[in-house]
Amino acid sequence: MVEKYDVAVIGGGSAGLAALKQLSNLGKQAILIEAGKQLGSKNVSGGILYSKKPRQGKAHNVEDVYGSDFLSDLPVERKITKYMLHSTSRNKIFTMDLTAAHEYQANFGYTVLMSKLNAWFAKRAGESAEQQGGGIVSGVHVKSISWQDDGRAIIETDELEPFEVKAIIAADGVNSEVAEMTGARPKFTPEDLYQGVKVVVKLPEEIIEQRFGVGPGEGAAHLFAGDVTLNHIGGGFVYTNRDTLSVGAVYHYDSLMRLPAEPSQLVNALLKNPMVSEFIKDEVAVKEEIDRNLPKEEQLRARFAVSKLIKTWNELRDAYHSPDARKKLVEAGKYKSEDEIKARLDFVRNELTTKYRTKFVTDYVELEYSAKLVPDGKRCMMKKPYHKNILFIGDAAGRGVFIGPRIEGLNVGIDDAVRAANAAARAIDRGNFSPEYMGQYYGDLVNDSPYTRDMKEIDKDYLKIFLDATKDVPKDIIGQRYGMVFKLMSSGTLRGLAVGLANILGYDRLLPLVESEDTYVQVPIELAEKMGQPVSATYAPTIPTVSQRVAKLKYDDDRTSHIKVLEPRSEFMKKMVTLCPTNCYSLEGEDVTLQHEACIECGTCSKETEWRHPRGEKGIVFQYG
Amino acid sequence: MEIKGYLMPGNTLNAAVIVKLEPDFSEGNVSYNADGTLNRAETKSILGPHSAVASSAAFYAKVRYGARIAVTTMGPPIADVALQQAQVLCDADELHLYSDRMFAGADTLATAEVLRNGIAKVEGGQLDLVFSGHRASDGETGQTGPQTAWKLGFTFLGNVIDYDIDVPNRMVRAKRLISLQGFYDVIEEVEAPLPVFIAIDPSYKASFNTVSQRLAFEKYQKEGKVRAQDYKRYLKVFNAQQLGADPKLVGLPGSPTIVYKVERIPKAKASRKAEVIDGSSREELRKAAAKMYEILGGMVIK
Repeated sequence: MVEKYDVAVIGGGSAGLAALKQLSNLGKQAILIEAGKQLGSKNVSGGILYSKKPRQGKAHNVEDVYGSDFLSDLPVERKITKYMLHSTSRNKIFTMDLTAAHEYQANFGYTVLMSKLNAWFAKRAGESAEQQGGGIVSGVHVKSISWQDDGRAIIETDELEPFEVKAIIAADGVNSEVAEMTGARPKFTPEDLYQGVKVVVKLPEEIIEQRFGVGPGEGAAHLFAGDVTLNHIGGGFVYTNRDTLSVGAVYHYDSLMRLPAEPSQLVNALLKNPMVSEFIKDEVAVKEEIDRNLPKEEQLRARFAVSKLIKTWNELRDAYHSPDARKKLVEAGKYKSEDEIKARLDFVRNELTTKYRTKFVTDYVELEYSAKLVPDGKRCMMKKPYHKNILFIGDAAGRGVFIGPRIEGLNVGIDDAVRAANAAARAIDRGNFSPEYMGQYYGDLVNDSPYTRDMKEIDKDYLKIFLDATKDVPKDIIGQRYGMVFKLMSSGTLRGLAVGLANILGYDRLLPLVESEDTYVQVPIELAEKMGQPVSATYAPTIPTVSQRVAKLKYDDDRTSHIKVLEPRSEFMKKMVTLCPTNCYSLEGEDVTLQHEACIECGTCSKETEWRHPRGEKGIVFQYG
Repeated sequence: MEIKGYLMPGNTLNAAVIVKLEPDFSEGNVSYNADGTLNRAETKSILGPHSAVASSAAFYAKVRYGARIAVTTMGPPIADVALQQAQVLCDADELHLYSDRMFAGADTLATAEVLRNGIAKVEGGQLDLVFSGHRASDGETGQTGPQTAWKLGFTFLGNVIDYDIDVPNRMVRAKRLISLQGFYDVIEEVEAPLPVFIAIDPSYKASFNTVSQRLAFEKYQKEGKVRAQDYKRYLKVFNAQQLGADPKLVGLPGSPTIVYKVERIPKAKASRKAEVIDGSSREELRKAAAKMYEILGGMVIK
């Protein structure tokens, strides 16, 4: 007998989990199927999670879905209070304060790490779903979907017996297999996508606050354009988390196709920028070669002792620079006072320097390397985000807001999730899951979303914030390129007219003008050269290679590959040798060959390969995300 | 509202698991005396690895058939740690500790006698399934399970790697890993009417392959963790009198086995030859690479 459920949510990212939670909030039974063993272990974000209060329409925010629990528990990193845009050229940087743009129609914006955030969402959503006879099933990968005569869907997986559902919410991300296997939409093209690469850098809590000039719990976002882009459309970012930094580069995939650059090099260009180098710098212990003249046992003993001391020093130092951790250590009776922690820390450091000749240098520490594709909603959002009894949400529906520095996906996914859950709940009440009844209704709800408007139209109030931020910039730099636009935009009445005109033209025709190398590369470089302040770094960061970065990642390796190369000699595949963030592809003679072991499932190569997510529990396991 | 599918209407299965508190033989935790015997004072004690497998086998009955589970052990008062750790694994509804100075010095037979008395107290003696591990990691005899089964008069199924229960017909179908006529690793499938005593094979791994089983698994797993935090609420301690144990059959008096001497097993002679290659120069490294290449032979290395 086939098991039957009302709704299956496929994919346990923040969108899928919000759909599960909302359905449970409405008293409906739903199950969520996630391929990763731990919820959140396959998710990556830049990332900032916003809560919005648009002037028109309503956004369904994270706190609406999870209740006040979210605001009291705050499974997030820091509340962004500073938002800066830097134009770079060599050692010169011109800075604009865009905090007003960040705060535009926002309740808040928190930096987040997906592994922690989604684990929190999963706990709440899972508990609510259980009460409605549903729940989360992890470590299961959906293989196929078929339909019975009565319209109900049969879901087959790699791990479980098939089961039947009345409705499906597809939340399986930008590389949605559900979309592909059902033919709901074609695969996204490089034109539709941005590729993001990120490294998480370790930095003690209070050092972050000191360095970025923010209070406890507060954070800063720094964006970069100019020569750090290596001539690509897009930019870099540095976000502060509680005791880490997220340093990343997001580039239009199309511009990477035109001028192939290794994703890791794009992130490295950012790390090497003097301002970023100074942001990430920290005190790092470097082991000294052990004296080989010592007896073998003595060498071994020294090696263990040094490793242990360095570990102690690192942990204690992190604790010492964190008010909470400091307090906990004293309360637990491990130390009598905070001074005693400091004394112990100095002792360990001294021990290392004098006894084991360990050096303490200025450098930085990377914890995790990751990558993800980001759909540009204005180019690729599904016009009809449904197919039969499947509703597509978030990245799977190609929905994300991309306007200059404004890149939003998490809040869009959560908003979509609520709308899809509402549509599914209504369908359950009526017993009608047809595309005409459920799908269309969801389509209408999505059309009402303020985010959909942002994917279709220019918001002139948001634009004005930019114009205000650039008011000190000499007209000749901007005027050369955007003279006409600038003139129109700087006057209140004409701005309305200009935006109206632009909206009639549509994004299609405007994008080549605005999202251009001029905007992201030449103008910033010129700005930095003419108006920037010189910035210098006090050291050169030791940047790990791709293989060193991959070696640090955690995988549950599946011996058979989840990706099949279809055209080993195509131009596209040849570019993958450069564009794969973890160098999975190499050229052997004429053919491009794949070694899947290092794959971090970003989907960069998906367009011309047979691309599947690995079987349940297999593949990459992100610790930060 | 209950989850559809996995909770059988009119659940009738009652299961017990017998576990043992054993020294933690994992690296860094175990400590030996100068004569090579175990230093019990310095070695931490935990739920034995085979007991853990038995607990997860019982958990399968809970997830699949909604069985009620009691975990039982004979041991000193500190053995409640083993019960707590077992509860995490199987979400036990009851924990029974049989503890009395009178039980000291018991061999397998005397232990089985205590367990028999104890198990008769579980669910008013209405038991369908009893699970035990394959053996203990400190005793290694593998006798306590079968002897308890014999005393209980239950059908004994040893080396079980998989089982399912036909609840309405009260039949167990089990796969046993055995050797037969010189062939190792033969899987024998047997059927037996309840009640049965299952000694679980170390290679046992539960698999849950429907959505409802996975949901139940998640639910009970969470419940087990929560319960184990407050395990004393589920704990009942019985002494010899409360068990109604016959003093002649338990402890030292009930133990026919006498261990009079333990000998160290002589170390086997190593047959392999090791050559030390000092990795300091390129030439030496090349030698090592050549050796690896020679050994890996036909394998393609990319």
